[in-house]
Amino acid sequence: MEGAADSGRAAALARLLHRDCTRLLQLYKEREDFLSQHAPGGERLVTLALCPEAPSTAEQVGHVRSALRRCMELLECLIVREVEEMGEELQGEYESLRKTVKDRLGHLLHSTGALLENGEGGCPPSPPKQCTEDEVEGSDSFAAKLWTYRVLLELIHWTDSASQTLHVFHTEKHGQQQLL
Amino acid sequence: MQGWVTLALLLSLGVECSLGQNGVGELPVPRGLTLNPDLPAQTLSLTWQSDSSLFDLEIFHTELMNVVLNETVAVKTDPVTGLHSWTWHSPLPLECTSHSAHIRARNQQSVSQWSPLQTIPGSDIPEKSESNMFPQDKVVPVGSNMTFCCIVKEKEDFKEIMYGRQEMSATRLSRRTYAITATNQPVSGNTGTNVICCSQRLTLTGAVVFVGYPPGDEGLVCETRDLASAECSWKKGRDTGLRMRRSRTKYTLNGRDCLEANERKRWWCSSKAWEQSWTLVARNPLGTVQLTDSAQLTDRVHLLAPVNVTAVEVKAWSATLQWSWSVAAYKKLEMVCQLQLFAHELNSTRNYSGPGLSSVVLESLWPDVDYTVTLYCGSKHGFWKWGDKSAPYRIHTKMDRPDALDVWMWMDSSNTGRVFWKPLSVRKSHGALVGYEVSQSSAEEDGWTPVSLPPGNFSYPIILNNGSDITVAVAARNPAGLSQPSTVTTPAYRADSQLSMSELLSTNGSFVLSWQPNANASSGYAVEWVPTGCSGLCPVDWKKVPESDSSFTLNSDSLVAGVRYTVSVYALSTGAPTLLQRWQGYSQEMTPSQSVRELLPNQSGSDVLLSWKATAMENQRGFIRGYTIYLANAAHLELIANISDPEVQSYRVKGLSLSSYKFVVKAYTSAGEDAGATVAIKMEMDTADMLFVGILVPLGIMFCCLILISICCYKKREWVKKAFYPEIPGPKVPGDWSSPQGPLDVKPSPHSLVHIVESPEWDFTKEGLFPVPEEEEESENDNIEVDADSDEPALLRYYNQVVGDGSHGNQVSDSSGSSNTSVDSTQTEITYAGIQSPTSSQGACGGGGYRPQMQSVIGPAEPQIEFEADFQDDGLHAGYKPQCSWQLDSPEAENFSGSLGSPTSVTSSQFLIPESSEEKPQPSNTWFHNFLSGKS
Repeated sequence: MEGAADSGRAAALARLLHRDCTRLLQLYKEREDFLSQHAPGGERLVTLALCPEAPSTAEQVGHVRSALRRCMELLECLIVREVEEMGEELQGEYESLRKTVKDRLGHLLHSTGALLENGEGGCPPSPPKQCTEDEVEGSDSFAAKLWTYRVLLELIHWTDSASQTLHVFHTEKHGQQQLL
Repeated sequence: MQGWVTLALLLSLGVECSLGQNGVGELPVPRGLTLNPDLPAQTLSLTWQSDSSLFDLEIFHTELMNVVLNETVAVKTDPVTGLHSWTWHSPLPLECTSHSAHIRARNQQSVSQWSPLQTIPGSDIPEKSESNMFPQDKVVPVGSNMTFCCIVKEKEDFKEIMYGRQEMSATRLSRRTYAITATNQPVSGNTGTNVICCSQRLTLTGAVVFVGYPPGDEGLVCETRDLASAECSWKKGRDTGLRMRRSRTKYTLNGRDCLEANERKRWWCSSKAWEQSWTLVARNPLGTVQLTDSAQLTDRVHLLAPVNVTAVEVKAWSATLQWSWSVAAYKKLEMVCQLQLFAHELNSTRNYSGPGLSSVVLESLWPDVDYTVTLYCGSKHGFWKWGDKSAPYRIHTKMDRPDALDVWMWMDSSNTGRVFWKPLSVRKSHGALVGYEVSQSSAEEDGWTPVSLPPGNFSYPIILNNGSDITVAVAARNPAGLSQPSTVTTPAYRADSQLSMSELLSTNGSFVLSWQPNANASSGYAVEWVPTGCSGLCPVDWKKVPESDSSFTLNSDSLVAGVRYTVSVYALSTGAPTLLQRWQGYSQEMTPSQSVRELLPNQSGSDVLLSWKATAMENQRGFIRGYTIYLANAAHLELIANISDPEVQSYRVKGLSLSSYKFVVKAYTSAGEDAGATVAIKMEMDTADMLFVGILVPLGIMFCCLILISICCYKKREWVKKAFYPEIPGPKVPGDWSSPQGPLDVKPSPHSLVHIVESPEWDFTKEGLFPVPEEEEESENDNIEVDADSDEPALLRYYNQVVGDGSHGNQVSDSSGSSNTSVDSTQTEITYAGIQSPTSSQGACGGGGYRPQMQSVIGPAEPQIEFEADFQDDGLHAGYKPQCSWQLDSPEAENFSGSLGSPTSVTSSQFLIPESSEEKPQPSNTWFHNFLSGKS
């Protein structure tokens, strides 16, 4: 029953994180109001192109966890960039929630890692990128704003995906333990 | 790129051909024109070689060949390079589109041919197909104008450019480039102002501009805290609005980076060593500010706070305070320190000075007081500012004996009084009091008799047993000891009535007193004030005045408005106080709180005398200046008198008519009238008037009415007689009745006797009353005789009785309802006998004869007997019996001859009026019948 409880907690955490990320994007749109009227395009920042096929739910959890790990890298880069640009003077709701998302994302990565017994479903690590140079396409502020927007979109997408996958995983785990 | 170069060559050739055709090429064409753009600065430097010094310049937006510059400039040759150089600042970012330039030499009106067109490519050339926007991340001052350009992605169409939330009007510069100009830009938000360009396919590109202010810092001041290093601070000034790291203000102090300020922690910089002058440079992308300061170190000493403040010796009136310094260099510094002592109503600030001051003795403290001490110091020489304050330190001084009490004695009679003392303030009690000790001595008794009182007592009663003076000593006690005793000797009692007191007028609620100096006032004077007329535990108050003064102002704080005070001045000496002067007055007069008492009206003819009594003194609340008398009408009061003499307490209201009146009497002081007492009176007539109006007038009116009725009835007597007393037809009898034939000898018929007399022994010949032989009859007769108050004649009553008995015996045969009613009623008249009843009349007619009622002469009972006989004989006897034979045969018959048996009697007429009237017989209208019948 302990595994089911862990998977349940991880699923609940993923749902909570998804709501946090949605709210974070909303706050960002309020700050950069042009984003409310114009949705910038661009390629996905986080893909599972390198990941093998994932027929089982556990493997899918592993894939999602790989994506969340990449999201974590992007979020950390985002925070570094924004603190670098704006300093730590601004301590509004956006900055506070940004830190919360980072912390909870770390907890989710940890808890999903614990769910996977043998690290199944893991994807090959993406090549390391320098935050300020490689991650952001373009060095100007407007490009950074668009990039931040896309990072937040990725966070929303993958936390939602994690929430659904972990829910399925938890349901299966719970069913198996019921049978046992 | 190749296509672009081809286009430029073609344009150059075209220009040359054009110039060649004009034939104006005498001056040599400038050579080697080169364009060097500075993209961030949006400048374009042109360099060329030429022998001339005056040139025409033209710069185009290459694609549409729009001339953006056409200018003649004088440019000298650089002696070093031998080149001509000229820089153009473009309002448009040079990346927005390709720019081309050419140049020609000018010498007054002659010009050379244009040099070949030189071009710098923009970012809208086909090789750069992506969308773009310029300039990026520009920092500009508030209010400036700025041009932005948007390069649309290849094969897409331009839609709009937004500056913030504002859609701007765009100008097309090339096939893919559109530009806007933002004017008078406002300060940006935290992350800059976004300028967005959008294509029809919603491809988004944009730029951020940071609009702000140059640094506004001011007021650099440097000081030392440790007598070695320096701390420089300044005011930040206006917010630059630039928060991005790249555009923030950077600070340097004397050429060194100011880390404290650049990290945005504090607006100060520190330096390890003191320098004579200081320069702070504040710089951001929009400008630079330079602040300077210079001073000697000794003039800028800002001491740190003393530490370890302690009180080493605390006494009742003093304490020693010690502290230490965290900087060793302070020990040699000549400093001045300031101590702030906070206590309840005892706040004070004290200054101390000395080299390296670290302890002071606090004098003039008050015993048993909680003090809070705060300490700070500064450099004595070249004082700059007070140093930091020490942490508050608490000192509680020890107790001491109380001060002497202020004692006074007030006599409320010749041999009783009370000694008063004022409570000691915190400053004088020197510790919480635990009680008082009162001692008294007299000339007759040796020694003092002490009495201890709890601390809540502030008076003690005094009784003079034999009229000799008593000296009382009062002392206060606290844990530290007993105060010095204060003594007072009983003053001589002087009642108010024994003195001629003057009225004391207040000034703004205060009494200003002055008196003649008295030589005996060796110890000064005492001013005593007490509510007038007070007895028992009175709020006696006093104030002692030095002998040098002969005036005193009694403030309104110690007086109650609306209370009359007796103010006395005593001369104080070693003996008993001597009364010098006494007044009475109000600090503030008010309207009386109660109305006059016992307001009474007293009518005297048409006048009303109003009298009243003044209200009690405690309710007067001011000197009564008089009274006002009002007549209360329905809605208002009508002033009828104003009595300005308060001693007059009555008023006569004259000439009032008979009506109800309501009077209001109000007493007034200088503050106004009271609510008023009301009295109502209904004016009544005099006795003589009442007699006239109440009796004589109604009698007169009634008399007149009777006369009028009489006249009226007399005038209409024929009608009245016909209506109420029709003519009785005359009897028709055979024979001659015209001449009298002598008196009729009418004797009762034997037949009648048989019917009437029940007892054969009854002798009808006897006159007077004959009692009925039955017992009941006798008793009733007895009653008649006893009942002297009855208005009904005895004979008549007897008659009634007989009739009643007869009726009882002949109920069935009585054909007259009226007779029945008459029989039942004790008021029934007796003579409406059967002869006048309709039945009887009919019987008379049927019988054909009239029978006179002659039996009345026999006695009172006889009519009834006759009546019954007639009644019974109605069917037997015919013919009329004339009444002319009526005679008074007996004296008793005269008593009722006017009524009983008379055909014109009231009772007879009553019987003739309608039936309804029979229910209420009118026994007293006999005169009226006589009147109607014409009899006197």
